[in-house]
Amino acid sequence: MKRIVAVILFLFGAGTARADDLVAGLSQDIIQITSNYTGTDIVAFGAIENMNVMTAAGPMDIVVAVRGPDADMIVRKKERVAGIWLNNHGVEMHRLPSYYYVASTRPLSAIAPDDTLKRYELGLDDIEPTSTSARTPQIAEPYRQALVRHKLIEGLYNENAGGVEFLSPTLFRARVPVPANVPRGQYNVQVYLFRDGNVISAQSTPLYVDQTGLERRLFNFAHQSPLAYGLSTVFMASMLGWLSSMVFRRIS
Amino acid sequence: MEIYLPIAEMSVHWLLLFGIGGAVGFLSGMFGVGGGFLLTPLLMFYGIPSGVAVATTASHVTASSMSGALTQWRNRAVDLKLAAIMTASGITGTGVGVWLFGILREAGQMELIVSASYVILLGTIGTLMLRESLAALAAARKGEQAPSARAQHHNWIHGLPFKVRFRDSRLYISVIPPVLIGFSVGILSAILGVGGGFLLVPALIYLVRVPANIVMGTSLLQIVFVTAASTILHSVSDFTVDIMLAGILIGGGVIGAQFGLRIGARMRGEQLRFWLAVLVLAVGARLLYGLLVSPGDPFSVADPL
Repeated sequence: MKRIVAVILFLFGAGTARADDLVAGLSQDIIQITSNYTGTDIVAFGAIENMNVMTAAGPMDIVVAVRGPDADMIVRKKERVAGIWLNNHGVEMHRLPSYYYVASTRPLSAIAPDDTLKRYELGLDDIEPTSTSARTPQIAEPYRQALVRHKLIEGLYNENAGGVEFLSPTLFRARVPVPANVPRGQYNVQVYLFRDGNVISAQSTPLYVDQTGLERRLFNFAHQSPLAYGLSTVFMASMLGWLSSMVFRRIS
Repeated sequence: MEIYLPIAEMSVHWLLLFGIGGAVGFLSGMFGVGGGFLLTPLLMFYGIPSGVAVATTASHVTASSMSGALTQWRNRAVDLKLAAIMTASGITGTGVGVWLFGILREAGQMELIVSASYVILLGTIGTLMLRESLAALAAARKGEQAPSARAQHHNWIHGLPFKVRFRDSRLYISVIPPVLIGFSVGILSAILGVGGGFLLVPALIYLVRVPANIVMGTSLLQIVFVTAASTILHSVSDFTVDIMLAGILIGGGVIGAQFGLRIGARMRGEQLRFWLAVLVLAVGARLLYGLLVSPGDPFSVADPL
C-alpha cells in the first residue's frame, strides 16, 4: 500500500505534507492562468498511514476544504423606489474566502455535529465573515446567504458530498475544480480525517494561483503606472483610427 | 475563442466583441456618429461591468472620431480657436465627471445613474430625431423641401458678456455658451463614455450658430481630445480602462466604420435619421426595461474599492 502511495506521490511530483496519521498532496501546487485558460481540475489525494486508525471502530471520513485568499465584499440589495429598482441597502462583509470548495466522503451533516463543522468552517452554511457593517448578525444573514448563492453561480463556492472517493481502504482522492474566474493568490488545501465526528488528523497544503502572460503584465501596468497605461491606450486608439483611414483611403 | 480581459477580470468571446465593435463602427460610419451611446449599453448587456464599459468605450470613440477629425482637418473645416476653448472646458468637465463617477461607484449607484442617464438621453434624442425624420420623409413624399431651421440673427446668446471673435466661424459671440457646452459634454463623456456629438453638433448649430461646414470638424476635434482625456483620467483614478477590450472593439470598429461610410453615402439623409432614431429608442427602451422590471435576484455582490 505504501509503495502505491509513494508511486502516486512521485508521479504527481507536487508538494506533500505529512502528519502522523495522514499524508496528502496535490497534483499541482501552482496554477498559472493564461489567456486561453478555461478552468481545470486539480486532484487532492492522500493516504491514511496509521494502521491503528484503520482498525479502530466507528465510521471514518475524509473532508477536503480549499480556501482562496480572504477578501472584503459588499453585498447590495435592490429595492423598488418610485417604480425604479435601485441599490438601497448594502452590507460590507470582511474577510471572506474568495474561493471555497469542500468535498467529503459523505454529506457533512452525517460526518460531524454542527458545532464541529462550524469550528472548522466546513460547509457553505458555516462560511462567515469576521465582521460585517450590519448592526446585527440577523440583518446580515440574508446578505451572507445571497453572497454564497452568487459565488455558487459563479462557480467560486461549492460543496460536494461524495467528492472524496476511496480508491482503496487507505487511499483517497478528490477533484477540485478551478474555474477560469478564480482570484489570484495563495490558497490553502486542508485535509481532515474524521473518526466518529471528531477530527483526529489534519493536513494543510498551500496552492498558488497566479496569472501569467500578457494579461498579468497589462494588469500590473494598469495598476503600477496608470498614467502611462492611459496614454498607451489613447495612443493605440488614435493610431488604429488614423491607420484605418489611411488604409481605406488607399483602397478606394 | 475565449480571451481573458485583464481589467474587467472576465473571460469573453473575443470574436463576439469584435463583432459588436464592428457593428457599432458600421453604424457610426453610416450615421456619422461616434457610437459611444450604443457601445456602452451593448457592453453592459453583454455583462461587462458598467464602469469598465464606460471608460473603455471612451477610447473606442477616440479611435472612431480620429479619422473623421483628420479628414476635416485636411479640408481646413475646423475652427481651431473654438475647438481649443471647447476642448479646455471639455477636459475640465471630464475631470469633474470622473470625480462624480468615483463617488457614484463607491455609493453603489453608478449602474443606476448610467442606465437612467442613458434612458433620458436616448429617449429624448430618439424622439426628437424620429419626429424630425418623419416630418422630412412626409415632406419628401409630397415633393416639398423640408423646412430648414431658420437662423435668427439675434437671440439671447448675443446678450452675454465676454465676447470673443472666432474668425473661422465668422462669429463674434460670448465665450460662455461654448465653454458651457464643452463642459457638459465633458461630464457626459466621463460618466457615459460617449463623445457627445449628438449634443455638440445641434448645440453648435442652433445655439452658437457655427456655420454648418465647420461644425463637424470642430466637434470631432473636440471629441478626440475629450474622450482621450476621459480615457486617461479613468485609467488614473479608477483603473477601469481595459486596453485588451479597447483593442478588440476598436479593431472591429475601424473596419466596420469604413463599410458603414460607404453604405451611408448611398442612403438618403432622412431615411438614415429615421433608422438611427428607431435604434436609439430601442436601446433606450431595453435599458428602461432593466430599471423597471423586478430583478431575478435583488442582491448583487461587489468588490469594495
